Amino acid sequence: MITVSNLYKEYHVTQKGKGLGGTLKALVRNEKKIIKAVNGLDFHVGKGEIVGFIGPNGSGKSTTIKMMTGILTPTSGEVLIDGRNITKYRKDVVREIGVVFGQRTQLNWDLRLEETFELLRHIYRIDKKEYRETLEVMNSILGIGALLDKPVRQMSLGQRVKGDLTAAMLHSPKVLFLDEPTIGLDFEAKYALHEFIKEINRVKKTTVLLTTHDLSDIQELCERLLIINDGILVDDGNLTEITEKYRYMKPGTA
Amino acid sequence: MSIKKTYSTLAHYLSVTIYSIKMALLTIVEYPSNILGWLLSNPIQFLLGFAAIRFAVEQFGEINGWNYGQLAFLYGISVISHALSMIFFVQGWFMGFYVIEGEFDRFLTRPMSVLYQFFFTNINVFGLTDLIPGILVFLYGCVKTDFPFTVTNVVGILVMLTGAVLIRGGIYILLGSTSFWTKSANDFGQFTQEIFDKTTMYPLSMYPESLQLILTFLIPIGWVSFYPTSELLGIEHSFSTGNMGVWITLGVGIITMLITGFVFQTGLKQYESAGN
Amino acid sequence: MFSKYLFVYKTRIIRSFTYKFEVYGNILMQTIIMITTSFFWRALFQDKAFGNGITADSMMTYTIMSSVLSVLFITGVERRIQESVEKGTIAIDLMRPVNIFGMFLAEDLGSITALLIQNLLPILLLGSLLIRFPAIVSLSAIPLFAASVILSMAINWLLAAIFGMWAFTAISMDPLYQAKKHLIRLLSGSIIPIWFFPKRLAGILNLLPFVYIYQLPLDIYIGSASNAEIYSRMLIQLSWVLVLGALFYILSGKSLKKVLVQGG
Repeated sequence: MITVSNLYKEYHVTQKGKGLGGTLKALVRNEKKIIKAVNGLDFHVGKGEIVGFIGPNGSGKSTTIKMMTGILTPTSGEVLIDGRNITKYRKDVVREIGVVFGQRTQLNWDLRLEETFELLRHIYRIDKKEYRETLEVMNSILGIGALLDKPVRQMSLGQRVKGDLTAAMLHSPKVLFLDEPTIGLDFEAKYALHEFIKEINRVKKTTVLLTTHDLSDIQELCERLLIINDGILVDDGNLTEITEKYRYMKPGTA
Repeated sequence: MSIKKTYSTLAHYLSVTIYSIKMALLTIVEYPSNILGWLLSNPIQFLLGFAAIRFAVEQFGEINGWNYGQLAFLYGISVISHALSMIFFVQGWFMGFYVIEGEFDRFLTRPMSVLYQFFFTNINVFGLTDLIPGILVFLYGCVKTDFPFTVTNVVGILVMLTGAVLIRGGIYILLGSTSFWTKSANDFGQFTQEIFDKTTMYPLSMYPESLQLILTFLIPIGWVSFYPTSELLGIEHSFSTGNMGVWITLGVGIITMLITGFVFQTGLKQYESAGN
Repeated sequence: MFSKYLFVYKTRIIRSFTYKFEVYGNILMQTIIMITTSFFWRALFQDKAFGNGITADSMMTYTIMSSVLSVLFITGVERRIQESVEKGTIAIDLMRPVNIFGMFLAEDLGSITALLIQNLLPILLLGSLLIRFPAIVSLSAIPLFAASVILSMAINWLLAAIFGMWAFTAISMDPLYQAKKHLIRLLSGSIIPIWFFPKRLAGILNLLPFVYIYQLPLDIYIGSASNAEIYSRMLIQLSWVLVLGALFYILSGKSLKKVLVQGG
């Protein structure tokens, strides 16, 4: 379902020298440094898998997710979603994905939740019947029905996340990307999110890729873990294998 | 693209636009104190603003061959195109904020044009409060100049307004797009408004030749109201537009949009390649 | 929703170095206003005169000095009150041993002092170079002008502070700031002098405090009023300072009580 081949992402950063001398020097000759955020990634995620994408901050995790969701253009290499190149055919391929950013919402702040859903229904050209059915499913899993009439600005964080999860799934995407979805959530909300992911994976065979620092997310959801550090894939295996492997390792040696 | 696909895409964008307008109207209901505030403020700005000008001009009878009835027409129609550009294109002022906060990410994950989404999923309904004084002053001007509402004239006004809004919007897009490169959220909205005000609501002929030339051929503000209005009212100025004034405005508007749209896409590529 | 952006965005400006842009932006704005308004007057007056010897030249001096004075009328107090209320710190602020409004006044005076060099001088320079040097009508008018300007600043600040009290009610302030800005701009003679207005309207405006912010000092500066007139109007100006001062004192006392009862 998701194929990442030979993925590279480099940034050019202009080095600003320190103090007055550095600034003057920079006017004459710009020292450019190349940062290799993603340094050759290759992996494949099959349909229906739930994969955890973990790594320390600055590991290239977010950069990779952004390339997989059509936000960033790779320096070289490609990302295929269901066989199609998401960078080249962005507007078409993004129909197949749903994205939830943990820190940011796509819900319209000023209006009731249902208004945002309706807007998305128009944007993704979802059939009315299909839309009602999907909402029914979301309601049975998350209880979203009760929130439809509520202005988003009056919602708690947990409610808002439920809104974002539903919004991401409205168009029945084949792949769901979640970027740190459980940050700041209480136990109950986290539980609801876990159940949600397991349920859509079971019923709709949605492929799920999530980044997280949260242990319970990993334990509850991830059959498989992709560990990234310094822009390369450091490990790829299932939860038990990896826990065993790193159990006696000191931090920083991975 | 086949005819069917083109039609289908247009229908798609139209349906989203219609829904966004509905959402914008709903926003008024959610924030009644805002609409009241702007209903108070904008008419003060434009109605009083025009009244003051009118008093001054009345003392002298005319300015550059424009009497105050004609000035009302010019002023009013400028405020109307200003209001329309505020409704659909004011977001351009805040592009920097979107760039810095990475808010374009969301648009990129959706199956529609990013430029379209940026403006048309965030319609600023409060711009309607600018429209009211604009229409009032404009109608006053029509009455004072005995402006005949023939079919040609009405079409002319609509064409002119479309072109004017495209020119204004295009310039906002251009200025906003600079934040893709400067990566800072500068508030140029105030100046842009001031410059537009002073060059569209008053006769351009007030200004020295050099400035007029710049505003005709370099930054096409002269086409927003002065040239087409001069033609509609039959007032002469330095060069003849040969009965095509309003259509030239429309053309300029379309070209401006194409150019600035291209600049935006270039900036977006930069965003997509460098992140925020 | 509009106000959400404006608020967050303004906070950013204060924090980041784009603050400089806003400062230079004000100079740019005033220069644009000065230049365009001057062209307006030149086109309107041509070689004619108005009233008692007002010419295009006097109007240009008027315009330049109006922009120069605008720097002295920049206030932050109304926004500071709003911030304080929105952030909820108002309860604590009002109970400090230092008078909070005194603090705001001090802040505004401080920034105006800085703006004297940063903004006022450049605006004066640009006006003089690009248009004409705004010479005062006679040297003897200087002390009167100075006195009137100080009273104008007092009236302007008090109006801003009183206006800021609206922040205690839960209304959206942003459109109101714009309304206030335009009201002052249009009713105080800052762009179009009141003498152009029809007699009845001018009469009404003369009963309001706004004309005593711009119109009066500018009239002194270009010498468009007789000495007798000036003295009597300055007396009225002084009375406005006292009236607004009293009003402000009462309102601030009331808001203190309200906050203590409601808890911020």
